Amino acid sequence: MRNIITTVASAVALNVAIGSVAMAQSDAITIGVQLPTTGSEATYGIDMLNAIQLAADEINASGGVLGKQIELSPADAACDPQQSVNAASMLASQNVVGVVGGYCSGATQPTLNTYGDANIPFVIIAANSTKLIPANPGNAFMINSTGDYQAETAVDFFESQGVESLAIINQGDAYSQDLASLTRDEWKAAGHEIASFDVVNKGEQDFSAVVSKIKNSNADAVFWTAYYADGALLIRQLRQRGYQGVIAVGDGSTSSKLFEIAGRAAEGVYAFANPIPAFLPGAQDFNIQYESEYGRAPGPYAPLSYDGLQLMAWAIEKAGSTDSDAIQQALSSAGGMEWLTGPISFTEDNTLARSNFIVLEGKGGEWTRHEQ
Amino acid sequence: MSFFDSFFQQLINGLVLGSFYALVALGYTMVFGVIKLLNFAHGDFYMAGAFVGFGALSLVSGALGAGWMGIFVAMLLAMMAIGCLGVVIERIAYHPMLNAPRLSILITALAVSLVLQNAALALTGGQYTAFSTDIGFGGFEVGNLFISHNQIILVATAAVLMIALELGVSRTMYGRAMRAVSIDKDMCRMMGINVAGVIAVTFFIGSSLAAAAGTMAGAYYGSIWYFMGFLIGLKAFTAAVIGGIGSIPGAMLGGLILGLLESFGTNIEFIGSEWKDVFTFAILILVLVFKPTGLLGKSEVERM
Repeated sequence: MRNIITTVASAVALNVAIGSVAMAQSDAITIGVQLPTTGSEATYGIDMLNAIQLAADEINASGGVLGKQIELSPADAACDPQQSVNAASMLASQNVVGVVGGYCSGATQPTLNTYGDANIPFVIIAANSTKLIPANPGNAFMINSTGDYQAETAVDFFESQGVESLAIINQGDAYSQDLASLTRDEWKAAGHEIASFDVVNKGEQDFSAVVSKIKNSNADAVFWTAYYADGALLIRQLRQRGYQGVIAVGDGSTSSKLFEIAGRAAEGVYAFANPIPAFLPGAQDFNIQYESEYGRAPGPYAPLSYDGLQLMAWAIEKAGSTDSDAIQQALSSAGGMEWLTGPISFTEDNTLARSNFIVLEGKGGEWTRHEQ
Repeated sequence: MSFFDSFFQQLINGLVLGSFYALVALGYTMVFGVIKLLNFAHGDFYMAGAFVGFGALSLVSGALGAGWMGIFVAMLLAMMAIGCLGVVIERIAYHPMLNAPRLSILITALAVSLVLQNAALALTGGQYTAFSTDIGFGGFEVGNLFISHNQIILVATAAVLMIALELGVSRTMYGRAMRAVSIDKDMCRMMGINVAGVIAVTFFIGSSLAAAAGTMAGAYYGSIWYFMGFLIGLKAFTAAVIGGIGSIPGAMLGGLILGLLESFGTNIEFIGSEWKDVFTFAILILVLVFKPTGLLGKSEVERM
């Protein structure tokens, strides 16, 4: 026992020592990374952090930014509004030059104020609820297409499938609820019928009640707007109960894990997706490098995460200093460049200027591009 | 579908869900009965049981296949392993604190929960694991109703486990000792009952029931991950309270009631499923207002 304590104590001491050395070396540029690395969305968060680390390593290997090395300071937002505010305050107190991250919209929204007050440039990678737009004090830039682009894609798709009556299910969080209600409103505005609009709890595995309800309502199609893990279970249970209609899922459900969990039931399921690695023409090198570094394929938000840090680095370089306003100025002038996920330029609201959504179809245990 | 079809379909849904809640609630209620501890780590035993069951299934599936036969063997192995884990955790974390203030041991339970969750996170990398089995989707079609074979097996297994437990507690010597310890530990000690042993057995049984539920849930729903114990832990705790915490039949009843309430709550006309939890927990409040000890709980008189 004493041995263990001594070992732990010396490890802690060593850590502190190393930490203070790192602190003393202040000529690095520190970028905060706010992602859920524990909790329910840790799979995505860790995957995104990996991609950001990859980008940082590449930038540092080619001389860094403004001649300095980039140092990442990850803070765990846990997809939880309270913990994300703590993470944001911690990053703000470290005087980071900029922050990249933001996966769960619900947890990202309250951090906008924290970074706004501290005037820290914030590149939001994945969170794409339209609720983030009015809450943005002006220092945040969203590089993912927002929910209304996705709702439009969804409505067009369901119409092309001849769907009349649509069942929508979300999990009540900012992201899935936003997408669900945007789609509902657009679907109604297009003159169609909503068969049912349901909310289920995150982490609940039993969807039998909702499935029975949907079967009763004779909906032509089901749209799941939340994340893949629970979505896979819903798809399984719908098909097990013999539901024959169209099933489509939103961009939170495009993980390939969906096929592992849902199995054969996921065949013929449609998804609306951001530019995921497999469908990006320029991402081959990125995919190979990511796999050799981390031993698994990059997840759906890895390319956007990579771009997030690259964009931040580019903006700092362009600003020529670590001055916050200059960096924000540089970010809003972004354009004309080809990034991993395509061109990035911003609207007046600091949202991505173009839709990047595509429609995918599950075939043979993987996503394939669905051509309409 | 007529109203009756929909009613009976939700009844079946609720029974399946309720069986899981009941199995997990039993562990809560047994531990509370014996050492007056709300074991918040209990949901994580369910999660750990699912992972051990998954590992065990991949070991035995070569010989037994990944159908229900293999799943049962895997479930028994998981019950043994998690039962032992429960005993070890009780020894390390709870036993030294049995005479400490109630709040300290409650916090310890929360800590154990976080330790288990984060250990599982570290071991699995936060990934969802697909619990693949060969159980089919077949079932009976009765009019518009559909009952799958899996649902019948699940409810039957849960019922067998619960009946065995009830018989064990009411008919065996250990069961009698357990009931005695829950009433008065000091007196039991004076009567020569091995109190520490009884507590260990209680933890073993409670944890292994959670492991049984975890393995079956993994096989039935098809995916497991490190956070799966959280929500069901909360629900099972609620079920135990509805039924009367400390009462074994109460936990079973509470689990079934909660499962049924949730299923029916989803389908109330005119109000959406977002009201499901409002409905369920409003009933919890009503139960507690009119019967603070839960439906089958005994009122405890504190004597000075």
